[in-house]
Amino acid sequence: MTAFATAVTSAHDIPDLPDRARMYRESGARLRSAMADNGIDALILLGNGNVVYATGASWPLLDAGLSHVERPVAIVLADDEHPHLFMPFREGAPWESQIPADHLHPPLFLEFDEGVDHFARVLGDLVPASATIAVDELTGAMRRAGDRLFPGGPPSDAAPVVGTAKLVKTVDQISCIRRACRITDEAAVDVQKALAPGVRQIDLSAQFVRRAFELGATASMLEPIWQVMPATKAEGTWTTHGDLALPLLTTERELAKGDVLWTDVSITYTGFCSDFGRTWLVGETPSARQQDQFRQWRHILDAVLKVTKAGATSGDLARAAIAANGGQKPWLPHFYLGHGIGTNAAEMPMIGTDLGEEFDDNFVFPAGMVLVLEPVVWEDGTGGYRSEEIVVITDDGHVSLTNYPYAPYGD
Amino acid sequence: MATEVLPDDRALRIGRRERALAQMEAHDLDVLVLGRQANVRYVTGAPQLWVAGTRPFGPICMVVRSTGEIHLNSTWDEGMPDDIPHDRLYGLAWNPMTLIEVLKSIDGASTARRVGTDALTPTFAKLLPMAFPNAELVDAEPAMRAARRIKTPDEVAALRGALRVAEKSLATAVAELRVGVTAQELTGILLEAEAAGGVSTPATQDGAWVTSREHPWRRARSDGRIENGDLVAFSAGVLADGYVGEVGRTWPVGDVDASALYDRWNTLWDRLAAACQPGRPAGDLLAAYEAANEPLPPTPVAHGLGLGFDPPVVTPDLRITAAEEILEPGMVLSVTGYVWQEGVGAVFGREAVLVTSDRPEVLTSSPSWSIRAGVGIG
Repeated sequence: MTAFATAVTSAHDIPDLPDRARMYRESGARLRSAMADNGIDALILLGNGNVVYATGASWPLLDAGLSHVERPVAIVLADDEHPHLFMPFREGAPWESQIPADHLHPPLFLEFDEGVDHFARVLGDLVPASATIAVDELTGAMRRAGDRLFPGGPPSDAAPVVGTAKLVKTVDQISCIRRACRITDEAAVDVQKALAPGVRQIDLSAQFVRRAFELGATASMLEPIWQVMPATKAEGTWTTHGDLALPLLTTERELAKGDVLWTDVSITYTGFCSDFGRTWLVGETPSARQQDQFRQWRHILDAVLKVTKAGATSGDLARAAIAANGGQKPWLPHFYLGHGIGTNAAEMPMIGTDLGEEFDDNFVFPAGMVLVLEPVVWEDGTGGYRSEEIVVITDDGHVSLTNYPYAPYGD
Repeated sequence: MATEVLPDDRALRIGRRERALAQMEAHDLDVLVLGRQANVRYVTGAPQLWVAGTRPFGPICMVVRSTGEIHLNSTWDEGMPDDIPHDRLYGLAWNPMTLIEVLKSIDGASTARRVGTDALTPTFAKLLPMAFPNAELVDAEPAMRAARRIKTPDEVAALRGALRVAEKSLATAVAELRVGVTAQELTGILLEAEAAGGVSTPATQDGAWVTSREHPWRRARSDGRIENGDLVAFSAGVLADGYVGEVGRTWPVGDVDASALYDRWNTLWDRLAAACQPGRPAGDLLAAYEAANEPLPPTPVAHGLGLGFDPPVVTPDLRITAAEEILEPGMVLSVTGYVWQEGVGAVFGREAVLVTSDRPEVLTSSPSWSIRAGVGIG
């Protein structure tokens, strides 16, 4: 049994910088423990976020259209403390690794039959034919070679296994998330200063990515969003549910005095994501009605945070939010009240989705889970209010990782 | 980029969709269920939110061959082409069963015999048969690759646009190269220029790095601070209007005599460019390195450019595949030349090449360091 570093009970318990060797050890132990719980002997991981988690590798992620060909692959064995990593080399991509040399391998090309022929030999050498295997994605070439790759029968889905491991963050993973958030917050300060009528949405993105990289970001994870909110729901973009659209894409549109922006950006630091969202107002101070929107949002957030602690369920938070919002759900129908965060910008749990109330009531928060809360408040004629707050769940409550003012709506 | 989100031009959209439908017929696919962003853009022409990295498979788009209908997982209609009406949009969902219920209700689902998916998870391998009870699930990637490998003229025009942004951004970063600046800062400048140029969706985020004098592939130093005598590589990759534009260059800083290395790069490049001929196997690009007496880099030497990676992917790990892949007019390749000299560093260069029935057309034209230009920057 691996002893984990001290649990987080206050902000002081989070190391300023992650201990990457310890993070690697503890992530691996968590993953193998989840494998044991699920009766899995070998995990084959193709998804970028899963490989980051399993191996500690961190690299500037590629666009989705490139990343499925040139992607790292991990094989994790239940009885081996080190994962095998098959790492494509991108010229110039830096990364440090705790993985011993005999576990580092040349890349696999699982989109192609020739690449999968090679993979079948690799797998045959590493994984016994009788092993129970879970995999997070099957390429077409892997499906064609299914009998050779998985002689013991079709593999199960690795997503729930990795999901179990990822749910509770180690102190070093929390340190990575907090550092990613600090980089994002600091970059956002300069962007918000530049906010003025005549500035294009795209200029905000340009300034944000530059500052974020200067401050140490590994990658931008999301096309930066600076959505100008409509005056009324009816005037907004058509949606399948009749509620607000979000997120709408950034363009060269020039911002105008009085525009209300809902912002959303995310970067990674050593493979872990930040999530930032605030409501900004261009060239004006908020009206009394707009201040009321913020106060209502703050009221909902406070009500949710009041019940946020280890042992609470997603259902508890959803109910607290609805009660504080006069019986209406304070989130958009296609999204959630909140979501987890880690090596993916949105991880389980998702609170208040079409997974249903029973799912939410059965999802019990463990200490060490990291949650992004993003309630939404809307009244026609105000532009509404939306912000995101990241908290670590503790036995007594929560520790905040977001440190960004609510200007111009509040402190 | 405009001030509103627009669908891809009609000619571009229709040209691609016809190619996809033709391949559905050739591969005997009744229905396509696509999850990969580039494939979805290819058939729909609708811009989608950009998120870095791979994403798990999900049924984002469904194409029915018999009716030509396209159904798309989108909660709103911004940027939606008029041939995808509101009743063919289905909203974002977190419960896979919500999506299965949508697919199930689409005309053609219950009678489909062969359904192609571009990837799959074990979970959706179990669930999709509920939506397609009479169908065999097969791999749709061969059909999509066959459609995508040859670019329509409108696609080549879109690629030129992406390359323009990449080249301008690279030039902006090169202009800031000097002793004392860090590779990370140069990467920030490059990404800033890309976004200011209208593209906040990077295809790559490597940016700039100091090539090593001790190791053929690694970066020179962990803090990335540029020193006198460095060879600094720049790589710009953008996703503009869905299309990937990539360009790479290497510039010397201060006192470094790298002319022999640049000469080697030029010799290698002449052979690489000459290999981009219709009728020749893509594997000739590997042979070009061998003929120039340069070791093959650990990265793919070339890959198709389009909405992401397109065939071929030319790497020594896939020699048989590369040998069987015959180049045709209309293919666009991103080709990488890489040479290294101990004690000096590396020269990395990446160009986009259009294969034509005549001679290959190099679509990139960023300036390179040359002896005539004299000393390096710094």
